[in-house]
Order: sequence, then structure tokens, then C-alpha cells
Amino acid sequence: MYNYVDIGIHAFPEGADTVKRLNYVANQLGFSQIVATIHSPYWSQFPDSSLSTGVEILASTVRELRKQIAVFRDTSTIVSVHGGDERINRAACKDDRVDVLMHPERGKHSGINQVTAKLAVKNEVALGFCVDYFWKKEERERSRLLAFQRRNVYLCQKFGASVVVTSNAYSYLDLRAPRQLKALARLLHFSDREADIALSETPLSIMKKRGLKKEVGT
Amino acid sequence: MKPLSPTLRDNYRYVAFRLSFEDPLNAYEIETAIAKTARSLFGDVGVSEFSLRVVTFDGTKGLVRCDYRHVSEVLAILASIGKIRNNRVCVTTIGTSGTIQAAIEKYLQTEEKIRRIISSYVTVPVSGKAVRICGKEIDIVPEDRKTVDRADVQFIGIMIDDNERLI
Repeated sequence: MYNYVDIGIHAFPEGADTVKRLNYVANQLGFSQIVATIHSPYWSQFPDSSLSTGVEILASTVRELRKQIAVFRDTSTIVSVHGGDERINRAACKDDRVDVLMHPERGKHSGINQVTAKLAVKNEVALGFCVDYFWKKEERERSRLLAFQRRNVYLCQKFGASVVVTSNAYSYLDLRAPRQLKALARLLHFSDREADIALSETPLSIMKKRGLKKEVGT
Repeated sequence: MKPLSPTLRDNYRYVAFRLSFEDPLNAYEIETAIAKTARSLFGDVGVSEFSLRVVTFDGTKGLVRCDYRHVSEVLAILASIGKIRNNRVCVTTIGTSGTIQAAIEKYLQTEEKIRRIISSYVTVPVSGKAVRICGKEIDIVPEDRKTVDRADVQFIGIMIDDNERLI
């Protein structure tokens, strides 16, 4: 039995539902816990929460990204980077303070090549596969993103990069049950075992790693 | 025509699902949405192998029949439904069973919480009008629509403990 965790959820005021509401619905769906990751521009508006939180850094340049990583590393449990731009993807994979690179495929190309994949393995940066485009995008865009993600999955499998599957939810209507996320992950050519690891062991190990680091620091 | 012997018949699985929605939908609409999404994801050839059919739907819960080898694809189809007639929805699978009777007994006989219409002005966590309550879940129509537009929904969703005045 796996403890499923979703680490790519955007709660109020960025998303439409509060963390408590999302947590309640996620527990009903079969998740053991969720981590609300807030995009960096909304970080100051986010109320204090007893549930674990993280930040998703939104940066337009590599310099800005590095600055924001330095700021958020000490304040946030999980530091993920909003991917898409190839330079940002590469800079995120180069930095061992980053935990997850979210949706690297949301640019012109798939966003990952063999160099980036090797850097991600070396610096223990997990790659985040957001599957929300299945229910948010139209046919053409969906097939484009599916093709990019399949290519990225191939590279991750070849070089052994850690992978996280998330729903990237902005409301409770974007949340999907773990078995549904696994079914979508199979369309990306993940095996059942790999999908289980991406939904449970990898996010839990990231949370554990950051929790332990904080304890060592104090 | 002589019926097929039991060993030659197709083996089906019945997937029970629950529909979360903003505005209620009927069985025809959900059936059309499933067929449309299935064709969009897997194409006509793929769908022909699934033996896909909505067996029953009561407004919140339902059963979908499919070929026993393609349950995973059907779960993906149900997960890919996000909007029906500009109405945000979420189709969650509850479980899979080999017979209709077992699926109904196991998954469809639990009672759903009743959704009540309310009208109360709130200011925490957002200014707006609380319009619906379902158990501990409350939906608010906010005055500032930026957040709901970003999330492409109609309501801000809170729990009753998020607003102490409503307890």
C-alpha cells in the first residue's frame, strides 16, 4: 500500500479553493497528504497553514531564478521551479537547492535534453510531470504536450532521473484520484511501478530530505 | 439468432464513478462527454476496442461498462473530462467490478451528502456571497473574480472551519 502525495497544488489565493478544502477532497480521493506549492508572486498573500507548503519559483531570467532560490530555500519546505524556458530548465537542474522542476515541456520544445537530464540526476532534482492538460487543453495542444512528455519520460528512464506526477490543481475540480493519475501516467509510457514511485516514494523522499535538512540546521 | 455460449461472450468490467460539478448534468450529457473524450484521446479505432457504454447515472454517481483489458484506458478517459457545456466537472472513479450487481452493492449504495442553497455574506477568507453548503464544504461567489477566472471555476471553495463565523 502506497502513501500517495500530490506536491503540485495551488491553493487560495492563487487557486480557487483553500488548503483545507483541497486537503479534505484529496483525502477522500485516496491521497495521504498534499503539498500546496504557491507560485512565488503569490507567496506573500498566502496565509499561514499547518499543512506542508512549498513554493514554485516563477522567473524570467536565470539570474532572477538564482536570487529567488536563495530567498525561498530557507523559508519553504519544497522549492520547485516553474519550467518551460530551456535556460530556466537547465539552470534549475544545475542547482542542488531545487527539489522539483515542474512541467519543463511547457515551452516551444520538450525542454529536456540528455545534458539537462544528467544534471538533474547529479543534483537530485526531480522532474515534475503535470497531467492537467488532459482536462484543460484542447486536442491539438494536448497531443503536442503528450509527445513532449513522452520524450522526457524516455530521457528520465534512460538516465535514471527522479520523476513526480502531479495534477497541478487550481481547484478541487482539478484533483484526480491516484488511480486515475496512474492511468494517465501509463499513457506517458510509465510502468505501473514507476507511476507508483512518482506519486508516492519520490515526493515523500523529497519532503523527508528537506525536513531532515531543516532539523540539522537548527 | 442463437445466443453465444458463455465462454465466447465478451468479458466486461464495470467502473463506478462519481461526478463533482458546478451545475447539475443529465445522463445524456455525461454519456456524450465520455464518448467525445474517448474519441479525442484514442480515436475511433481505439474506442471500438473498449466496448464503452454508460450503464447507469443518477446525477452524481454512475457505472461505465468496458472491456476487461482496457480498464486503465477508461480510467484515463474519465480523468480527462474537465468541462461539459462550459460547466467545470470532475469525474472520479470509485472502483471497478466484474458484475453490475456487485458494482452497485459495493460502490453506488452509499448516501451522498445533500447540497443546500444558502445566502450569507462573508468576508473571510474572501468577500462574497456564500451560496451553497454540502457537509462542511461551502462555495462562495466572490466579489473580485480574478481568482475564479484564473482557476476557470465559478466559486471559491472553503471549509466551514475556514470561516469561524459560519460554524
